[in-house]
Amino acid sequence: MRRYLDYYLTSMRMAILEQFQYRVANYFYMIGMVAEPVIYLVVWSTVAEAQGGEVGGYTPAAFAAYYIVWTLVRNMNIVFTPYGWEGYIQRGQLSAELLKPIHPIHNFLSFFAGWKVVVILFWLPLAAILSLIFKPALDFTWVEVVVFFFAIWGAYLIRTMLLTLLGMITFWTTRVSAIYELFFAFELVLSGRLVPMSLMPVWVQEIADWLPFQWTFGYPIESLVAQLPPAELWGGLGMQALWIGITTVMVAVMWRFGIRRFSAVGN
Amino acid sequence: MKRIFHLTFTFLRIGILNEMQYRVNFFIQLLQSFVALGTGLVGLALVFEHTTDLSGWTRPELLAVMGVHILMGGVIRAAIQPNMQTLANDIQQGTLDYALTKPVDSQVIVSVREFRLWQVVDVVMGFIVLSWAVVELQEGLGVVDALVFAATLVLGGIMIYCFWLMLTTSAFWIIRVYEMINLFEGLYAAGRWPVGIYPLWLRSMLTFLVPVAFAVTVPSEILVGQSSTQTLIGALALTIFLVVLARFVWSLGVRNYSGASA
Amino acid sequence: MATPVIAVNGLSKHFKVPEREAGLKASTRALFKRSHRLVKAVDAISFSIEPGEVVGFLGPNGAGKTTTLKMLSGLLHPTGGQVAVLGYEPKKRDHDYLKQITLVMGNRNQLSWDLPALDSFELYRALYGIERSRFEKLRDDFIELLEVGDLVRKPVRNLSLGERMKVEIIGALLHTPGVLFLDEPTIGLDVTMQRRIRRFIAEYNRRYGATVLLTSHYMADVEALCKRVIVIHHGKILYDGALAGLVEQFSAFKKVSVTLSGPDVDVSGFGEVLERDGSRVTLRIPKAETSRATARLLSELDADDLTVEDPPVEDVIEQVFATEAA
Repeated sequence: MRRYLDYYLTSMRMAILEQFQYRVANYFYMIGMVAEPVIYLVVWSTVAEAQGGEVGGYTPAAFAAYYIVWTLVRNMNIVFTPYGWEGYIQRGQLSAELLKPIHPIHNFLSFFAGWKVVVILFWLPLAAILSLIFKPALDFTWVEVVVFFFAIWGAYLIRTMLLTLLGMITFWTTRVSAIYELFFAFELVLSGRLVPMSLMPVWVQEIADWLPFQWTFGYPIESLVAQLPPAELWGGLGMQALWIGITTVMVAVMWRFGIRRFSAVGN
Repeated sequence: MKRIFHLTFTFLRIGILNEMQYRVNFFIQLLQSFVALGTGLVGLALVFEHTTDLSGWTRPELLAVMGVHILMGGVIRAAIQPNMQTLANDIQQGTLDYALTKPVDSQVIVSVREFRLWQVVDVVMGFIVLSWAVVELQEGLGVVDALVFAATLVLGGIMIYCFWLMLTTSAFWIIRVYEMINLFEGLYAAGRWPVGIYPLWLRSMLTFLVPVAFAVTVPSEILVGQSSTQTLIGALALTIFLVVLARFVWSLGVRNYSGASA
Repeated sequence: MATPVIAVNGLSKHFKVPEREAGLKASTRALFKRSHRLVKAVDAISFSIEPGEVVGFLGPNGAGKTTTLKMLSGLLHPTGGQVAVLGYEPKKRDHDYLKQITLVMGNRNQLSWDLPALDSFELYRALYGIERSRFEKLRDDFIELLEVGDLVRKPVRNLSLGERMKVEIIGALLHTPGVLFLDEPTIGLDVTMQRRIRRFIAEYNRRYGATVLLTSHYMADVEALCKRVIVIHHGKILYDGALAGLVEQFSAFKKVSVTLSGPDVDVSGFGEVLERDGSRVTLRIPKAETSRATARLLSELDADDLTVEDPPVEDVIEQVFATEAA
């Protein structure tokens, strides 16, 4: 499938060129986003110090590492918002994509992937500055770096599929705020975005094990900073692959029904 | 003065009538507020799974802070932010003339003309949360304390308004105001927790740069009985200073704008 | 006879449109029982188009033109009837089918907004799997034909409406589709731009033998490009044939222009006066009476100059739609 590879590379290149034009906006956005993890970091470091230096296996330095890497993973998690589907359909963009001899999801995947390349580049200096301020525990091996690299792209894929599923609900109804808000709330708590999952009560962790959320957020971070044993490190990639498979199948099935509905009315 | 109040109420009425047409937004806002409250409570519960107090603040005390934060957030999103966003737009599109050619002080017009009714849900919710916290504290709240609390809330609100006005007025000179608005959201979010827990440099930013400390932490301190007369006097002084400064910056901006437009 | 490229038989598209009256009582009723109205956007139409034909699709807004094009390109599923293009069923959206067609809609942009058109062309090359040297030759050819050499390096957002349309069309044709669906391609453009685009389409059709189905409001488009027109109104085909025949069939009038001896001559008895400019008068006369009227004009009024014309096609079409609506 040379044509697909060619398409992805060309599309990513275009996305990079486009996003570079918006580099200032990109930077401001990334800086604004830093507030959230910094707040979590300070709160939990305070708790850790009050509890004698560590809580849930995390020292303040470990929390710093967690939340700094958090900023990259958070950025990798940003994909086409399900709220955007209504406009995407109404402006005729979906129709335009349907005329092309390629599944529209490849457009999303390739475009945002290119954007992520820019994001990763911009993140490096930001991470350096944050490290100077918060002094994280920097203790990772090269193996972990490699796994981390694959894990963040795995997270990107899973989240793209999940949010595409959400967005496709728009084919049936535009009254979607409630569903989306609830989804994001659960995701916040069960993914490792709010706190490292090991700080959650055990019953919450058990529920989270059945859901894809922690594989989009907590696992990639932990693969780099939490010194996971090899079984968990590589097993995590396996779980990501599993969830990529599951969500892809779900998207494919829902797409068939969604497109049928769309083609009855069209735009 | 009387005219200004009359004008404010007129705009308020119009804003409310407008929003009433979109009753669906009420339910959406209600949902969003509940979800935000839920995640806030989850965060708080998590912290107290692992500790009994956070930098000297107990759970009900932190609940009070959350209540004030939500309440203040509602006020900002209902009355301050919409006006500032419209103002930023006007400055960038050059449509500020409408506001400048009315026989009323321009600063008043651009500050009161917008009102988002459904954000008031947060004001109500914040009030409920802080009332619950006060009940849990079992110390009761004296009338004097309650009045001082209300006063500090008002002062805090005024300070946030001045900050926003100055930030938006910078749009006369700097183009990229929207991104800075994004930064405010992040810094305001920090106000969910008492600013004392933050490292000094961040605490200073949250006190003097974006007066979140005065909008949220200081009133909370009064609620839970931790205030000091010093802080109150400081709050009053800072408010007066900011009001004067904001006015000055605004008139500078307007003069600049009128000169520039052809 | 060669197999038709486009074969449409009894094609229909019905929409169920929810009906709601204003008022509180009606809204409450609507909560319990949704009443619908059936809109027959396309009502059992049939036609077939041979390879290489350039066919004009005429009709007022809401006639069903765009709906038909969308069904032909696979975007809409028909409610009834059969449609086959190049032997494919469009609604299946077979990738091999999509590689052979193109749909261009007049005020919709498909090129990347922030980047020069050349970058978007690269993306199309990768998307359709066009071999590089062939792609470059085609691209440069088209750029030269439409004279957009300097425009393709500018971000698309910096181009004017007409310039944007030109580069959009190039993008749409880089994969040399054999079937072109053009929906109002010249809408909103100035006359020069319209002419350039028309010439380009005609040239493309000549070079590649492509089949073109074109909808337009502008008669000039249709007159310039199409030998055959299909007139559609209220979802039904009113006419399918040569453009010249359209006037013949539908026009009940002729336009007679005559130069008289003076400006005050009374011509009321001869026909409806369309225009009067000094001594020159233009009359609208029923076809059947034309020869008699012209004879009378020449003899009774001492006319200097007399011309008999068919009314402009626009007027004819307008009449057709007006009568159909009534």
